[in-house]
Amino acid sequence: MSGPDETGRIGAEALAAAVAATRHRAGAFLAGLEHSRQPMLISDPRLPDNPVVFANQAFLTLVGYEAAEVVGKNCRFLQGPETDPGAIAAIREGLRAERVVRVTILNYRRDGSRFWNQLLICPIRDEDGRLVNYFASQVDMSHVHEAEAGRTRLADIERRLAEAQRQLSLTLSSAGIAGTWDWDIQAKRLHVDGRFAALTGLTPAPRPGTVPLAPGPLPASAFFTGIHPLDRMRVRLAVSGILGGAEVFDKEYRLLASDGSVRWVHARGRCHFGADGRPARFTGVLVEVTEQKRVEERLRIAQSAGRVGAFEHVPGFATVAASPQFCSLLGLVSARTVAASAVNALVVEGDPPLLAPDQRQEGELPPIETRVRLADSGEVRWLVRRGEAIRDTETSGLRHVGVIYDVTESKRAEVALRELNDTLEARVREAVAERERAEEQLRQSQKMEAVGQLTGGIAHDFNNLLTGIVGSLDLMQTRINEGRTQNLTRYAGLAMASAQRAAALTHRLLAFSRRQPLEARPVDANRLVSSMDDLMRRTLGERVQLEVVVAGGLWLTLCDPNQLENAILNLAINARDAMPEGGRLTIETANAHLDDAYAARDIGVRAGQYVCVSVTDTGTGMPPDVIARAFDPFFTTKPLGQGTGLGLSMIYGFAKQSEGNVKIYSEAGQGTSVKLYLPRYHGEIEVGTEERGEAPRAERGETVLVVEDDSTVRALVVEVLHELGYRTLEAADGPAGLRLLQSASHIDLLVTDVGLPGLNGRQLADQARLVRPQLKVLFMTGYAENATFGNGHLGVGMQMITKPFPVEGLATKIRSIIEG
Amino acid sequence: MSQDAIGLTELQQDAFTELVNIGVSRAAASLRTMIGTQVLLSVPSVEIVSRKAAARLIGEREAAPLVVVHQDFEGAFAGRALLIFPQENGRELVRAVAGEELSPDEVAALEDEALAETGNIILNGCLATMANMLQRTLTMSLPGIQRGDGPRIFGTEAGDADSLVLFLYIDFSVSERDIRGYLAMLMDLPSLESLRALVDEFIARALGDLDA
Repeated sequence: MSGPDETGRIGAEALAAAVAATRHRAGAFLAGLEHSRQPMLISDPRLPDNPVVFANQAFLTLVGYEAAEVVGKNCRFLQGPETDPGAIAAIREGLRAERVVRVTILNYRRDGSRFWNQLLICPIRDEDGRLVNYFASQVDMSHVHEAEAGRTRLADIERRLAEAQRQLSLTLSSAGIAGTWDWDIQAKRLHVDGRFAALTGLTPAPRPGTVPLAPGPLPASAFFTGIHPLDRMRVRLAVSGILGGAEVFDKEYRLLASDGSVRWVHARGRCHFGADGRPARFTGVLVEVTEQKRVEERLRIAQSAGRVGAFEHVPGFATVAASPQFCSLLGLVSARTVAASAVNALVVEGDPPLLAPDQRQEGELPPIETRVRLADSGEVRWLVRRGEAIRDTETSGLRHVGVIYDVTESKRAEVALRELNDTLEARVREAVAERERAEEQLRQSQKMEAVGQLTGGIAHDFNNLLTGIVGSLDLMQTRINEGRTQNLTRYAGLAMASAQRAAALTHRLLAFSRRQPLEARPVDANRLVSSMDDLMRRTLGERVQLEVVVAGGLWLTLCDPNQLENAILNLAINARDAMPEGGRLTIETANAHLDDAYAARDIGVRAGQYVCVSVTDTGTGMPPDVIARAFDPFFTTKPLGQGTGLGLSMIYGFAKQSEGNVKIYSEAGQGTSVKLYLPRYHGEIEVGTEERGEAPRAERGETVLVVEDDSTVRALVVEVLHELGYRTLEAADGPAGLRLLQSASHIDLLVTDVGLPGLNGRQLADQARLVRPQLKVLFMTGYAENATFGNGHLGVGMQMITKPFPVEGLATKIRSIIEG
Repeated sequence: MSQDAIGLTELQQDAFTELVNIGVSRAAASLRTMIGTQVLLSVPSVEIVSRKAAARLIGEREAAPLVVVHQDFEGAFAGRALLIFPQENGRELVRAVAGEELSPDEVAALEDEALAETGNIILNGCLATMANMLQRTLTMSLPGIQRGDGPRIFGTEAGDADSLVLFLYIDFSVSERDIRGYLAMLMDLPSLESLRALVDEFIARALGDLDA
């Protein structure tokens, strides 16, 4: 209704004229126009800016203006900021073309409120067809228009919602998981999505890759569609709980498809309460868990079959999620949640706890073995815990996930095995000890046997010798009684020879027992060997060729030369016996150096310089087992009666006593070599020449005290001394001797036995020396208590003579002491 | 359907669990109003056990001393309801109810009163709702507080080992606090028998309603 631009103020007269003209033109219809409930107005395009010249009451009511405010104005006062410029342009175009315009335009009332105006503008012409007025009618279309806009918006929202649902459904579907439901409890209607419908069989399964379509609203009972008959009651009860006011719905159940297949679903839902506090809506998510169920089932079977208990624990939380097996392994009543403190309280004190909240690092939990006291029976069992600390996706804290299992049996087996091992060792020890005892007993019995053999052998030998002595003496006595004194010397000689052999025998025995009194002195082995040459040639016979090889610059050695001679002779005889068909015997001397390695191999041998005397034959030789026993006393390979078996053992005893060594090198059929090592002596050889001849006699009638418990020996010694012109005193034991020594009697020499009862010879001498410091002493001994009377241990003015001794030897000793 | 020791069928047990679930949900709603934050109580399982077994169940789960709110109820079925917490959890609950800014001394001073009040809300809400669902009424005594270990709480020391215990383990989730508790109802055999009959009626109603 706007006209051409306002070009000037409309004259009041012109307006009044226009108004009157319009009214006139309406004529009789004017009352109808004025009272119509249809808002109407008329403008005059012939006036500038096409002003309003008539507005009825309905129009004024619609827009809220007074008539005076409207008449004379262009209609554009109805327009506002949001009025569509397109609609305005359409009106303008219609007016210009002077045709009917129909348009719906947003107009503003006087109070600023808006309304949608369905506007009709119609040109009015006079009889001549000239445009005189515009007639306009308005209809308030607000309610219609608003509803339409709302519908548009709603459509838009619905479109977007559908899209979102499609997206959600697509997501859920592609994840293969869930359908949703929304149960309107008041309306008894169930809204489900396509996935729910497809899962439960409410709608046919969608083609693969497509999104199942949501069905329209369903009756509430559709919720139970497809639920397995065995689970239906349970689910219905749970739903009735929700309808009755329960908040939480959390059930697992089976769905039975029309094709008979069974699927497990997990339904989680909540009840939403209305303003009146009554249950209003029941919504939730249905998740298919068939695969998960299978996995769980497999895991459950694996765990229960393997008796493995599983747990999940967030360090710091008071409770632990546990499997039934976990509880049963601890003797707890089965529960899904147990208190961490209760679990750890079962652990035997001092053992590591099952749940270790201090493990704050991601990764494997250190495997532990721990003992628990079962909650129900109190039995103590061994459990192993293994697991991992993993980053919890929900809390970003650590979650301990692990298993426990019982290892009591293997622990027991382990313990039993260990005990078995321990006792095995003990049993072995015992058996070894027993064997040692048996061996000791065997050795003892062997020793006894040996002693028996020895005593028997000695008795036999001695009896032979005694027969010779006693027989000779007997003959001598008979001859003397008969006065036939010629040829007595022959019998005396026989007796003497037998007695000397007896002496030699006891000497050998002592050598064997290593208690022979050795008279060690510096010895030149070369000279000794050479001096034996004649003796040996006669001993060995013609079939054995003797070679003596002596080393130049041979060291001196320190030993008893008689024993060395004896040893060499013994070896030579053995060698001869090993060469019944003859052969070559070589006696060699050499300097030898035994090193540490040698010393280490032979116990009791010290490394150092030695003089070696070796006796080598080309005889039958000895197998190793014979060599091994060659030094054993009484071991002999000779026929019974041909030898005592003491030879080599005696040599061994001599060598050891002289701090040397003896070794046998032999091979069967190749001959034998025996090497005797004697320690080097750093010193000069004593040039002592022993003169043999008449026994030296007493020169000034010196007094000799004889202390000897054996009356025969004492009488004999005293007799000899008288024969030689000495005066004698006698005592039968140490104390009696000491009394004489402590008296004022003149005594030049003490001759005493060593083995005396009460006070031995050495002690007697020592005590006598306290009162007679210059007292000279001669010890007589059957065997040497070498610790005290060994080589060079005798003090000044003391000497020793070994029993048995020849009269001449005794006289020479006594003389030399008295003179010395 | 298998039956447990006192002869509840699985269905009865399910129905019972739902009844308790409804009751506890109501109690949670009341508690929510009281505390003003999210409270969720859920009941994973219901067991009917002897007092002795109940004492053991508690004993092996909770080494710490316990605090108990108890209320006696009478009506169609009678007995004593117990709300049991580890003592520490009880304090935590008091703090949740009475305010975080309380000092430990104040918590200690308020503890019994606040626990009795909270326990009353939970027990009353739970039992009244259950009774309502069973279309019966119960009268409840005033709440009392007790402390001690399992045997003491369940009176096994007194030798009253005959009666049975309806034992529930409840997860409390109070605005992210780790609070756990137990709900137990001590009932003698006749009471449990009456309860069972009522449960059967409830089952019939529940299934019937849905069919209607």
